Amino acid sequence: MTGDTAAAGPLPAAARQWLARRRRDAGLRPYVVYMAAVLIFGLFAVILRDDGFLTATNLLNIGRQAAPIAVMAVGMTFALASAEIDLSIGSVAALSSLVAAEAVGDYGFVAGAAAALAVGAGIGLINGAITVKVRIPSFLVTLGMLGIVSGIARNMNNLQSLPIRNDTFLAVFGAGSVGPISSLLIWTVVAGLVGHLVLHHLRWGRHVLSVGADRGAAAALGINTDRIRITALMTSAAAASFAGVLLAGRLAIGRHDLGENLLLTVIAAVVIGGTNLFGGRASVVGAIVGSVVMAMLNNGLILMGLRVADQLIARGVIIILAVALSMREQKET
Amino acid sequence: MTTKCKKPKWLRLVPLLAVLAVVAVACGEDDDDAAPTTTAAPATTAAPTTTAAPTTTAAPEPVPEPPRTQGPGGEEAVPSSEVTLTDEEIAEVQAGGYTAALLWHTSGAFTDAVSQGARDAFAELGVEVVAETNANFDAAQQANDVETVMAQDPDIIISLAIGPDAGAEAFRPAVDAGVQLVFLSNVPQGYVHGQDYVGIVTDDLAAMGITAADLLADALGGEGEVGYIFHDAAYYVTNQRDQAFKAWIEINYPGIEIVAEQGLADPAAAEEIASAMLTRNPDLDGIYAPWSAGPADGVLAALRAAGASDVALVTMDLDTNVSLDLVEGGNVVGIAADEAYNLGRTMAIEGAYGLLGKPAPAFAVVPAIGVTADNIVEGYRQSLVTDPPQEVLDAIG
Amino acid sequence: MTGPASPVALEVEGLCKSFRAVQALDHVSLSLHYGRVTALLGDNGAGKSTLVKCISGVYAPDGGEVRVDGAVRVIGSPEMARSLGIETVHQTLAVIDPLDVVENLFLNREHTRGGRLGAWLGVLDKKRMRSESGEILGRLDIRIPSLRRPMSALSGGQRQAVAIGRAAAWGQQIVLLDEPAAALGVEQAARVLDLIRSLRDSGVAVLLITHNMDRVTEVCDRAVVLRQGRKTAEVDVADVSKDDLVAYITGARTGDLS
Repeated sequence: MTGDTAAAGPLPAAARQWLARRRRDAGLRPYVVYMAAVLIFGLFAVILRDDGFLTATNLLNIGRQAAPIAVMAVGMTFALASAEIDLSIGSVAALSSLVAAEAVGDYGFVAGAAAALAVGAGIGLINGAITVKVRIPSFLVTLGMLGIVSGIARNMNNLQSLPIRNDTFLAVFGAGSVGPISSLLIWTVVAGLVGHLVLHHLRWGRHVLSVGADRGAAAALGINTDRIRITALMTSAAAASFAGVLLAGRLAIGRHDLGENLLLTVIAAVVIGGTNLFGGRASVVGAIVGSVVMAMLNNGLILMGLRVADQLIARGVIIILAVALSMREQKET
Repeated sequence: MTTKCKKPKWLRLVPLLAVLAVVAVACGEDDDDAAPTTTAAPATTAAPTTTAAPTTTAAPEPVPEPPRTQGPGGEEAVPSSEVTLTDEEIAEVQAGGYTAALLWHTSGAFTDAVSQGARDAFAELGVEVVAETNANFDAAQQANDVETVMAQDPDIIISLAIGPDAGAEAFRPAVDAGVQLVFLSNVPQGYVHGQDYVGIVTDDLAAMGITAADLLADALGGEGEVGYIFHDAAYYVTNQRDQAFKAWIEINYPGIEIVAEQGLADPAAAEEIASAMLTRNPDLDGIYAPWSAGPADGVLAALRAAGASDVALVTMDLDTNVSLDLVEGGNVVGIAADEAYNLGRTMAIEGAYGLLGKPAPAFAVVPAIGVTADNIVEGYRQSLVTDPPQEVLDAIG
Repeated sequence: MTGPASPVALEVEGLCKSFRAVQALDHVSLSLHYGRVTALLGDNGAGKSTLVKCISGVYAPDGGEVRVDGAVRVIGSPEMARSLGIETVHQTLAVIDPLDVVENLFLNREHTRGGRLGAWLGVLDKKRMRSESGEILGRLDIRIPSLRRPMSALSGGQRQAVAIGRAAAWGQQIVLLDEPAAALGVEQAARVLDLIRSLRDSGVAVLLITHNMDRVTEVCDRAVVLRQGRKTAEVDVADVSKDDLVAYITGARTGDLS
């Protein structure tokens, strides 16, 4: 560690080689999110050491609050990977929480989750079909769908909160835990694991990435790009539905605005995580870590006792810094 | 190469720290003048007593008087029971063949009840309701609604003006056409009572805050540490209620201390806020949430997740989820509600005042109701003129 | 060269295609033979790429017939073309930058594992694909530093080699090459010609679009010339000079349209 190595640079040779290889291939961008996570965690751990930031309960809170963001982020990763975007996810989550609450009351907990997922997949199918067949950018289609879905949600229970009283549902999708591990954390891990495997080890995942990187090339190789784009949008909407189920489980209600405001948080989480906003590059694990970063920011800024306006400013600044960092890496490669 | 790529990242930490530091400092300074600013914000003039209790620095001794609801322009409140019509006046309105339009700001159980009250009263007065709109809290949408409705040439418009500033322009076509305007809770900036509009009708907002404080104090036996979550936005209705709650706790319940305060702008963020509040103050005995649907739901979820079954929660406005928790003996100990139906009736009657040229009070208020598990059915009937939702009735058994 | 004995792999007859008012292909006919390289020549806008795209299923022709091994086929999609054994190297190469070399070689032709369930889910058999990639590239003597590098990290020549390698791997009967050596250095271009020869020698019917007459004379057996959407000449390369070919292309003369 001394002598030659030190003279050559501040890092050991192996690390330098690793860095050089990274820079040549994909850059350091995939690691920005981890640095951001560690940085922000460290910052809060110091600033908020007397305000309970590091208590087990609070860390658990962060994990639970990250769960719906993470699940939506995994879905959004696939939409973005296919060079589409889904702006309807927030309202889809909200509608799904109501659908789940309604169905749980009448038919039990499996039906509740299944009905919500079916609604989400259905909305995604409509989003995708219009995008692909009518050739309207998904940005506009899903923007319209955002309005439609949130209107439907508002009509569904007259803006009232719909209580959920099914203990199994609440245990599985919300307050429950396996040993000391909250079920919401488990769902987050499951979403991340499934998403990662699908992206890297299933043909569909590779095709989504291909279509997003170069739709013309993918089509020339016989990939049914329409099908891929539609299914990618279905995935994002279905994931949003599942996030709605988790929100419903956590709050024990269905409500027309649960998760409605998460859209921008989710996009920030996904982009910080290293997924390209315009397709062709995606990281599910990055999206999950990005979600934790967003939840941690939210939690820490509240714990600091900031006023809402100041929280918004601080969060905005930090998000821009993080995204700028990941974009910078991207340009260098 | 490696150093080059490593260094900027660490440099990024500097502005990041600096920004956080600046924000933190700015916020620290902010705390002192925060409350007065908030009080002044809703265009308004809350009761002097409310202004007198801006920070957590103990109750102000000299004014041991309960907060009172005042109009947005400082008008004295007149009870809605004093807004009435004689039989002759009713007959006169009935003979007129008048029309009315209802321009709401949102939809929901509350607006439905207000709307129903107005419709019932209009029906009794022989006034035909020709339009009803919902602007979804969008001031621009409301301006469109006014223009659209004016095509039907109504004689009366009753409405909640979204944003006093924007509202001034939005309702100008109606004022110019001589429509009798009755406003809920708020009045557009610069409008003159008796000239531009007939009157304002509102909940007794201060009374609701006081009622909520009383409900919480009862549940706590007059002692304990309380968390106060307020609506962090310049919104007359919630600002008045929140401030009255806080002032009344400070004035009337020396055994209860507000140990945590946190503003809330996005109702969906309530769970995060309440969780953080519990993290910082594990010994909380009670929490106030500014309204039920959304904020109180989130607080409830946070309390349940933390296993804090002994923390008392009070809030405003009846809603299924909190009502259910109330009757099931959960965290919710009481809900302060208003007589929404009565609001609508009073507005309609004031509209008739306008048609008759009869001077209406500038500011009429309907009383507040304290709802507990014992009187929830009566509470629903009195407030919303419906029975509680089926789930709640089932839980009562 | 090889004479009439070589069987016909693909026949195109009377193919028409227009885009709005522009007639890109006007009753074009040609045939490709197994084990022979046919050059498709013409100026820019003569209709060469359109013809290739009609055969490879990217465009649907307005009229005419395509026969593969004597059977009439309507090639409605690139996937159908590929399933008929027709592989194409487009001008754009159609490689996917973020995917690695193996993934590009096997894109939409992936091996799966895990039995029928695995096949239905599309569980990739990465190990098998990696080892087969090595074989494919080795057979064609294509050298790529690492099969696990993303395409974006490869040089222009390497990308071209992967695209041709993919066509060779899957194009058991017919390979269409649209300007495969454009923008390549001399040495790399020579390697591409070697690849074409080895394809021909393994019996594949090759169609080569190029502007470079040296390449035509080096590897091609027949040459078909298009001009303004029409076939203006079809000749044995051995019978003509480079100047003749240029004359056909510029329209200075027309040739044997047998």
